[in-house]
Amino acid sequence: MQNAFKSSKNFEKSDNSKKITNSSNQPNKSSAEASTDKIIIDQVSESIIKTLESRLDHMCIKKSDDERGPRCNTASVPGIVTQRSCVYGGARVVLMPITDAIHLVHGPIGCASCTWDIRGSRTSGDDLYKTGFSTNLEEKDIVFGGEKKLFNTIIELNSLYQPSAVFVYSTCVVGLIGDDLKAVCRESEKITKCRVIPVQSEGFRSFNKSLGHQLACDAMLDHLIGTGKLDDKLKSEIDAHPTLNIVGEFNVAGDLWAIKPLIEKMGIKVLSVLTGDSCVEDIAKAHYADLNIVQCQKSSNYLARQMEKKYKIPYLKVNFFGIGDTAKSLKIISEFFQDPEIMEKAGEIIKTEIETVRSKISHYKKRLTGKRVAVYVGGNKAWSLIRAFEELGMNVIMTGTQNGLPEDYERIMETVSEGTLVVDDANSMELSRLFQKYQPDLVISGAKEKYMTHKLGIPFCDFNHDRITSFAGFKGFINFAKELDRAVSSPVWKFTPKKYQGIQNE
Amino acid sequence: MNESTDDCKINSRVCGEIQNPIPNKHFAVINPSKMCQPMGAVQALLGVRGAMPLIHGSQGCSTYMRFQLCRHFREPVNVSSTSMSEGTVVYGGEANLLKALETIWKEYKVEIIGVTSSCLAETVGDDMGLIIRKFRKKHPDEELPSIVPISTPSYSGSHVDGYDKAIKSLIENLAYSTKPNGKINLITGNISPADIREVKEILELLDIESIILTDSSESLDAPHTDSVSFLPSEGTTVDEIKDTANSKATVSLSRHADSGAKFLEKRFDIKSVSGFLPVGLQSMDGFISSLCRLNECEVPVKLEKERGRLIDAMVDSHTYNYGRKVAIYGDPDVVAALARFTSELGMIPSIVCTGAKSNRFIDDMKIVAEESCSSPVVLEGCDLYDLHQQIKENPVDLLIGNSYGARIAKKENIPLLRMGFPIYDRLGAQRMPIVGYKAGIGLVDMLANTILENYYDESGHEIGSE
Repeated sequence: MQNAFKSSKNFEKSDNSKKITNSSNQPNKSSAEASTDKIIIDQVSESIIKTLESRLDHMCIKKSDDERGPRCNTASVPGIVTQRSCVYGGARVVLMPITDAIHLVHGPIGCASCTWDIRGSRTSGDDLYKTGFSTNLEEKDIVFGGEKKLFNTIIELNSLYQPSAVFVYSTCVVGLIGDDLKAVCRESEKITKCRVIPVQSEGFRSFNKSLGHQLACDAMLDHLIGTGKLDDKLKSEIDAHPTLNIVGEFNVAGDLWAIKPLIEKMGIKVLSVLTGDSCVEDIAKAHYADLNIVQCQKSSNYLARQMEKKYKIPYLKVNFFGIGDTAKSLKIISEFFQDPEIMEKAGEIIKTEIETVRSKISHYKKRLTGKRVAVYVGGNKAWSLIRAFEELGMNVIMTGTQNGLPEDYERIMETVSEGTLVVDDANSMELSRLFQKYQPDLVISGAKEKYMTHKLGIPFCDFNHDRITSFAGFKGFINFAKELDRAVSSPVWKFTPKKYQGIQNE
Repeated sequence: MNESTDDCKINSRVCGEIQNPIPNKHFAVINPSKMCQPMGAVQALLGVRGAMPLIHGSQGCSTYMRFQLCRHFREPVNVSSTSMSEGTVVYGGEANLLKALETIWKEYKVEIIGVTSSCLAETVGDDMGLIIRKFRKKHPDEELPSIVPISTPSYSGSHVDGYDKAIKSLIENLAYSTKPNGKINLITGNISPADIREVKEILELLDIESIILTDSSESLDAPHTDSVSFLPSEGTTVDEIKDTANSKATVSLSRHADSGAKFLEKRFDIKSVSGFLPVGLQSMDGFISSLCRLNECEVPVKLEKERGRLIDAMVDSHTYNYGRKVAIYGDPDVVAALARFTSELGMIPSIVCTGAKSNRFIDDMKIVAEESCSSPVVLEGCDLYDLHQQIKENPVDLLIGNSYGARIAKKENIPLLRMGFPIYDRLGAQRMPIVGYKAGIGLVDMLANTILENYYDESGHEIGSE
């Protein structure tokens, strides 16, 4: 796991931004190697589950002498019930937590009506971001273009709400009819004097929504970060304390509120959060920070790398899920600043918090120890939860993600223990076959997988972006243990037909 | 009770005439109260046995719809996608659609594939019918599933139209005339699995053989069996849809889902009847009398008793319900039917709102206004922002609609009775019926108890009364 906490200085990795868009037909390194010794891969895959031939090498089992991950970042097979979403969805999850902005979806109504207010990001202030805005493109707009309607909508919304910014998301059809999003945004910005930020997130642009994450980061980099002015108040703050930004933390269920106090207790000022519980103006001044720490490395490594290039802000990869990883994260942050006082504080916090957490989870741990877990998620949780489960005495037997890139699977392969099954872009049928064959005691995934898992009689815990319980930091870990216990220890599972019959036959 | 329920204020409006206020915005949709056409089509297809809905578009469409459907019904829902991406958009979606049909046919053992288009596929200009014919030509000697194209561009209409189009396309593509079957086709419209179960029970009581279009009562509210099925394992069969051309008549519970019925009437001379969604007393009476006329049957004692109990429940609670103002939003059929029912209870459905554009909704609301001598504000083709503005101007005691209204309810400090789609913050949406006398009894009690909970204190006194 040491690798997971490399500072940016040690972390030499090529910029993957171009890879995402163009790699549809290029198998990644590991799969290219795989094709040279096809027989082994086939044997392994056949022993996993029955599926389409083209899908076989998207699943593999970790071996001690072979760290190659599954084939990944390829288009899903048309017709398959894919768990993936679109580029627009990717962009939206990154930007939507910005609380005082209007998130305007330029497209037909469905794109907005299926996605508004579904992110579990919480706010301590403005709740404008929870409102669903759409230009509601209709047939005549498709024929004559939607630019005028978009322009009028922005002007109207600005007068109704006076927002701090308007993010305008492009959807599939907008890309086809060729509306000039940038021009309309520029024009309406002049009139409204409000930031109007285009996000070129046409849904079809990639099979991998990671492109959407990147486009969202680009929108912030090009239009927001760096535009905040250094006023006296900010200057005195920066002079008084070391500062950092928390990048890739979306305050899902209030996660941020368990992380931020820990950092502040160390004497470090959190300048801005990208983007959980954030305001537009906070993000605008993010470039004044001394350090970026990256929580969701799936969506936001790119942002941190770009800020390093542009503003010379170094970054650290952190993980606030699990006791050990939270402690390690605090430690590397404190070490970065090379300030004995901060390091001492970090040590104190870690010591007292760990004691408290351990005493509070022991009760749950007894019931959770030995349980086997399958994880299938959209982002960094495919690797960042593994240690957390181990701390509860649980074993991760399977992990995977819908949109993993080669660098994600590298992280996964170095984190999981031998024998763990790693799957890429598993569709709903494959997931049900996997769960039926490997019979995990618990599945960690999102709403689409929840009820399928329940129907199979397997306990489930939602760890998606619409979850309602905070799991981050030391406090969140107690919630996490409690939530897992609620899922696996409930007596209802005794009454599912197979188990109930078993009890009656005894 | 809100001050504005004073008689003088009610009378300041013209009794029996609906009001169409001018909205204070003209371009933006804020907090939508409708979804796009493919969503409605998918919901119709989920009631067909062995059906796989296939959305010809980008992956987000199917994924986000599955997300919405799963969290509402709390059931696994599968919707496949042709996974259009940049390359395929440039060259048209033919290759993706052909591949998708092949994959679904081979992988999922389907009986029928319903191919719904999206804004993307329609704008690219894919001729789905032609592509499906090509697919059939590629496999001349093999037994293929039924494949039905459904044109549902997301940029026109709403999910309400999408549902209607799916039903019509199923009938158009599959139904053919052989010999009379003596059955009644019943188009339910987009109602809950529990409602469909109620409808089936009523038909059974009346001894009517029927073809339900479409029957999601099992697929979207399935018992726990330690197993999961990828496609609806029960529901309307392809053979039943084929046989709709041989029925005696078609009854549409939804005036917005009767295009299929009209097609059958025109093409096969099958009588089409539609009315209010049978919620509450009068609408249910209308439904039962239509059925009895068509099938020449007597109303059975059991149903008579249920009706009697409903009236008894209405009487039990009438003083609590009388004069209470309600705002109702959601699908046009459900809203109009609930407006009619709440009027029967003496409540005043003072604001009704639907996201869909629909003249029939306005007509239905005119009937409700005339019957109850009220003057509701009718918001048609509007959103929840418009609804909220109206509620601010004309306060109500109770809000009825889907989960999206929770924030309005909180801001205005009024209770929200969750009905419609989607309901994701409460349990049991798939199990809660509103159709029929029996369901009406539950509904009356729920309404009155909500009033009691919010406007009466723990000793039973009305809060704020003299």
